[in-house]
Amino acid sequence: MGAKYNKSGSLLSTHIGHHKEAISYSLKRLWQSNLSTWITLAVIGIALCLPSSLYLLLQNLKSLTDDKREVPTISLFIKQNISEQQARDRGELIQELSQIEKVVLVPRDEALADFRKITGFAETLETLDENPLPHVLVVTPHIDLIGNPANDMQKLAEKLETYPEIDLVQMDLEWVSRLRSILRISERAIFIISGLLALTVLLVIGNTIKLNIENRKEEIEVSKLIGASASYIRRPFLYTGIWYGLFGGVISLVLVHLALVSFVAPVNELAKLYSSTFIITGLKVSTTLYILLASSLLGLIGAWLAVGRHLRNSSIPA
Amino acid sequence: MIEFQTVSKQYPTGQLALYNVDLQMQQGEMAFLTGHSGAGKSTLLKLIALLDTPSEGQVVVAGQNTQKIKQRKIPSFRRNIGMIFQDHHLLADRTVFDNIALPLKIEGMRPQDINRRVRAALDKVNLLTKEKQYPQMLSAGEKQRIGIARAVVNKPAIILADEPTGNLDPDLATDIMHTFKQFNDYGSTVLIASHDHALIKEMKKRIIVLRKVKT
Repeated sequence: MGAKYNKSGSLLSTHIGHHKEAISYSLKRLWQSNLSTWITLAVIGIALCLPSSLYLLLQNLKSLTDDKREVPTISLFIKQNISEQQARDRGELIQELSQIEKVVLVPRDEALADFRKITGFAETLETLDENPLPHVLVVTPHIDLIGNPANDMQKLAEKLETYPEIDLVQMDLEWVSRLRSILRISERAIFIISGLLALTVLLVIGNTIKLNIENRKEEIEVSKLIGASASYIRRPFLYTGIWYGLFGGVISLVLVHLALVSFVAPVNELAKLYSSTFIITGLKVSTTLYILLASSLLGLIGAWLAVGRHLRNSSIPA
Repeated sequence: MIEFQTVSKQYPTGQLALYNVDLQMQQGEMAFLTGHSGAGKSTLLKLIALLDTPSEGQVVVAGQNTQKIKQRKIPSFRRNIGMIFQDHHLLADRTVFDNIALPLKIEGMRPQDINRRVRAALDKVNLLTKEKQYPQMLSAGEKQRIGIARAVVNKPAIILADEPTGNLDPDLATDIMHTFKQFNDYGSTVLIASHDHALIKEMKKRIIVLRKVKT
């Protein structure tokens, strides 16, 4: 007994052939199936679209803070005896640091002019014989730094303080920490919601595959009778699970993009009212692929669990 | 080829299906298994195909003690046995061709070889014209012959049939039996369970009688 066929080709080509067959067979079955399959796919799609859209919302909130006025800046007050040129040179050196997005020098005269305009202290200021304001370097750190632990901003501040021209470093840390904690909470919320919805998808796919197995009981028994291995019987069901996950993922992406399109016009209008250049951003290609991969994987796991549970209780051993 | 050594089978319900059975079949032999219903004909066939395990004794098939075959080796063991049932066990949602091709696909045979083998099997049971039809379009006799074609398509060393003519009229039954004889002539070991005594006698082959266990 044993391998009787030389014509059946190598073990690898047999394996590839089995996979091809399982893929085409499971796709055909899915395609020929009834309304309930489409409803299942819709359920999976809707469940998956919630975490993706929340993620998108968070991404957009994050990018909103890209707007220059929203980013916490660090103000470097220059010592009184330092000239404007020296301050400008130092500013250019700071600009070279990797953590820095932008450095703007506000010369003391300009600062005084602004101060006059804003506060209405013009007359009081006239009484001073000398400009009391220092040159200021307004440093905008990189946006990445905000999400990082507080000590990164702190470290940057400490480093800036060591420069000889700098008198005082002042930064809006409170702003940073507030933003950071809000983002952290939202991220955690999305994480939990995603987890729960992933579980939902897992259960839906698992249950669908279970019904699938029950409907195909006869086929499974017959396959066993004529010597199909457990993995041969399992394979089409596992692929069916992957298709459910993948197509559910595609539906969710379509839903997210439709929602996004409906948001573009009103958001632009709002941004215009705030004279902001903010533009709503969609899902990146990598994120899209990641969502599809994750949903397919969920399908596979769901199918695997169902197959493991329900293929074993058959009247035929092995 | 097939050897039973003091084999007994008791089901968990307490029903004693086989008691102390000794049996030997040579390679290339053809035999009929007969006895009253409930005498354990089906059980005996199931033990050979490893669809069940004996409670006592040993079943040796093609030199292998079936109890010593590992679980994951069972499928490849079964591929050397062609089984035919009273109810043909065809898949309703696949064509005749796909039903017969199933064992070959499981073996991983190349499509062109599958085509050739399926046509050859269909030719042997005289149903070449039906390959694109679905099982429900066929008559009972045709379905049974398709079941036989599927069982023999991968040229198994052993062919087991459980009441293959149970649902058929006498002419068709004779026809089916002669089909089996043909496969026996090609070298397969054939064991057929049947209670159709007249037909069995006509075939002039060895007859194994199972007597009902006294309980």
